[in-house]
Amino acid sequence: MPEFLDPLVTGLINGNAYALIALGLSLIFGVADLVNFAHGSVFAFGAMLGWYFAAVLHWPLPAALAGVVVATALLGVVIERVAVRPLAKAPRIAPLLSTVAVALILDRVSQLLFTPDTQVFPNLLPNANFQLGDIRFGAADLMMLAVTLVSLLALWLFLMRTRLGRALRATAQDRDAALQMGVNAGGLEALAFAISSALAGIGGVLVGMYYRNVDPSMGFAAGIEGFAAATLGGLGNLPGAVVGGLLLGVIESFGVTWFGGASRGMIAFGVLVGVLWLRPGGLFGSSNASFAEPLTGTFFGRGRPVTLHRWQLVAIFVAAFVVLPLAANAYLMRVATIVVIFAILGVSLTLVAGTAGLMSIGQAGFFAIGAYASALLVKNHGWSFWMAMPAAGVLAALAAAILIVPVLRLRGHYVAIVTLGIGAIVVAAILNLPAITAGPLGITAIPPPQLFGIDIVSPRAYYVLAALLLVASVVLVVRLQRSHLGRAWRAIREDEVAAQASGVQLAGHKSLAFALGAFIAGVAGSLLAHQYGYINPEIFGVDISVLALTMIVLGGMSNVVGTILGAIVLVGAPELLRPLGDFRILTYGVLLLLLIRFRPQGLWIYR
Amino acid sequence: MIQKSIDNTRRKIVQGGLVSAAAAVVPGLATAAGKPIYYGVSGPFSGDRAAYGAVWKKGMDMAVAEINARGGIEGRPLELLYQDTQSDPKQSVPVAQKFVDDDRVIAELGDFSSAASMAASPIYERGKLIQFGLTNSDPKFTRGGEYMFSTAPTMQMDAALMADITLKHLGKQAAVFYQASDWGDTSQKVFVERFKSQGGNVVALENYLLTDKDYHSILSKARRANPDVLVLISYYTDGALLLLQAQDVGLKGKILAATSCYSNKFLELGGGAVNGTVMSVLFFPEDPRPAVQRFVKDYQARYSETPDQYAARAYDAVKIVAWGTQQGGATRDGIRKAFISGTSIPSLLFGSFKFDAERRVAHYSESLITVRGDKFTYYS
Repeated sequence: MPEFLDPLVTGLINGNAYALIALGLSLIFGVADLVNFAHGSVFAFGAMLGWYFAAVLHWPLPAALAGVVVATALLGVVIERVAVRPLAKAPRIAPLLSTVAVALILDRVSQLLFTPDTQVFPNLLPNANFQLGDIRFGAADLMMLAVTLVSLLALWLFLMRTRLGRALRATAQDRDAALQMGVNAGGLEALAFAISSALAGIGGVLVGMYYRNVDPSMGFAAGIEGFAAATLGGLGNLPGAVVGGLLLGVIESFGVTWFGGASRGMIAFGVLVGVLWLRPGGLFGSSNASFAEPLTGTFFGRGRPVTLHRWQLVAIFVAAFVVLPLAANAYLMRVATIVVIFAILGVSLTLVAGTAGLMSIGQAGFFAIGAYASALLVKNHGWSFWMAMPAAGVLAALAAAILIVPVLRLRGHYVAIVTLGIGAIVVAAILNLPAITAGPLGITAIPPPQLFGIDIVSPRAYYVLAALLLVASVVLVVRLQRSHLGRAWRAIREDEVAAQASGVQLAGHKSLAFALGAFIAGVAGSLLAHQYGYINPEIFGVDISVLALTMIVLGGMSNVVGTILGAIVLVGAPELLRPLGDFRILTYGVLLLLLIRFRPQGLWIYR
Repeated sequence: MIQKSIDNTRRKIVQGGLVSAAAAVVPGLATAAGKPIYYGVSGPFSGDRAAYGAVWKKGMDMAVAEINARGGIEGRPLELLYQDTQSDPKQSVPVAQKFVDDDRVIAELGDFSSAASMAASPIYERGKLIQFGLTNSDPKFTRGGEYMFSTAPTMQMDAALMADITLKHLGKQAAVFYQASDWGDTSQKVFVERFKSQGGNVVALENYLLTDKDYHSILSKARRANPDVLVLISYYTDGALLLLQAQDVGLKGKILAATSCYSNKFLELGGGAVNGTVMSVLFFPEDPRPAVQRFVKDYQARYSETPDQYAARAYDAVKIVAWGTQQGGATRDGIRKAFISGTSIPSLLFGSFKFDAERRVAHYSESLITVRGDKFTYYS
């Protein structure tokens, strides 16, 4: 019996934390129609602040909790004012990216304020351990349960019984109609951010008490779990968020008990992908949630398009293949090589997210498959790099065609979360299949490519190789975009129903976009593996998928030239900002925020 | 107090300047007096692992201050070029190229994680620049090329030692917790094999991710297996958290932790829960050897805290590379030749040692310590 009850209790308590985070995410999603990537960081900031109040200032628990609630609520309002509201008329993807920048800034500020160390959360409750039969739980566990229930109840009463609550619900249901009824939608959005952020802050303090520790970088993982929980329950559905959180906690807990801690990601996301496959709107979401407006479509192409003349293209070529290799030192060449490899990854996503409008946050998974396939084929099976690289692309494409099946019925944010899950599952599978992939050990001594028996190792030679492949993938993508296929993809992006009515076969076209994108991502992975000479699963985390998406959003979604610019800014800038030392990543975040603020339609517009 | 220690350092630096000026007058010693010697450091000075980077910097800065106070190397002051990589291979690779291309840089120290270090190794190897691994216990690290040296004992040696200590001092029914990382996985395999072959029994074998904050599930599962000793193949943060939460779920037993748990942070984070933990360490501040005592005293005076093993390793690394520079000359090749031919290289951690064929420390001895009354003491 205890082997069943222990994980259940642990899971329920953990699930509470997920529920609190998911609740806030769902509320913001409902009111502002936005997945708030900064939410996890607000949670971590609340946890650190709670630690500061309790451990450094020695405040009692109620005071610390109240302080955190006030501070995080204010933080939420500031985020809404600075990063979300100015983008109200921008494409809907812009505020999402803007919250990514806020997350970067918030994490770094928190590290500078509180030091990057993990801190012990003081025991604020009497250390009473209750034992019921063979299950144990502490005061903190009960406290956590109580606070979640009280928060949920208070939120419920507020939404159902007050005028403001009704206005919030109305805005969530139909923003335009609410506006016409005289509802101050902007103010409500700030209110939603305040409430959600306060919930996240409470969650941070409770998790600190339960885990007994906090650290400034715990936000990203928590945000992803919360996102998964909210989607499981149905985005925008508040009771769904709570059930989703509890369910995710319990499933994870059993998974970890049965299959080990390393399987956590695979189980959580496996369940999520499975549920969305069967119920595209989540467990409690209305089924037509899957027909919500596309994320990128309708609002495309605002701003003045920029077209490249032939002579400008020639100038770019000369700059990339003659001037840069001649003028740059080896360090710059190395930076340029990595920028180019990530640009190829970005270009691979242009087709999926830009042209076909399928918001994918799982591209790192196909990047990883390409890297591993190429590394293993060359190292263990004696293939030449020139054979292994396309093979890596083909394998990644095959994997995409299979893995992407659950995505085909989904739209908008649901595509984002399921692809995020697929990326995480691929990496977890690499970690948990040591017989093939060497598991966490990684693959060492991956040979460099050879041409006529000579190793391509010099920074210049490798740069030229990577840049040629970038050109090839750009040509491939542009030709596809201009072809009949490209028109079909754009039709799907703009209006799925209309596209289908005009005879565009949805599933086949979507699969093809994913597979072709994965092929290019696989080639990029192969280049990365032979450049590094060593790969392990850590290299292909969710952060890389988010990076790829950020690149194309910054570049203007469907434009390859913009994507390359995005790669230069996002991968190159942290290197160029090196002299700033401690403030490097902070500055990078602020720059990103400003870029989105003043160029929400992306750096490059193109039809 | 702090003001005073800064003043002292300054005075020493001024004296150092005088010494090097004097050396410049003596013919033969006067090569490029005053022109600094540079080592590059590639490490996590921001991001998730910034805490390790901060301690590295303290240890390294102190070693540099000492060397320069005594007149530098051949009369030339030593300077470190720190580059933050967040221990991310995407950043450590360009940094490697930056150092290799910078003719002033004659040696490199770091990086921290396997991924960041080993992805950069081919570039150092081709640039014929020493990559000195302070913490790289993966045996594959020094196999990456002729220019990779490391003073970190390999995980195989560490894990075998852990198995022996457990059997000899602690118990035969072990619950083993390990990080799902290259280090954790390799160590776990070596430990389990050795432990079983010597008559031990592994009753629970549980892994977790470095990013995990919650261990309740694996801990309650281990509790049901009734172990008499808990073995932690962990870093200090996860190790301390495991023990804290073990207390919450009622998992009890003697405790053996990997040497990477040896840090003041382990005590700070773990509170009473880490009491009784046994570990085998290379560096211990109560070690009576005069060199260690001098290091501890100076470190305390400089930073008002007791150094941990990462500080000691970082300090020692700079000193060892400086020895190589002194012996072989201030060139990339000179340092390597000095390391290969040196038979008694002076060091804080190993006394006098030599590098073996794998370019690792050939022989070393460790101290067995335990946590008692919220501090580390010798185990008896």
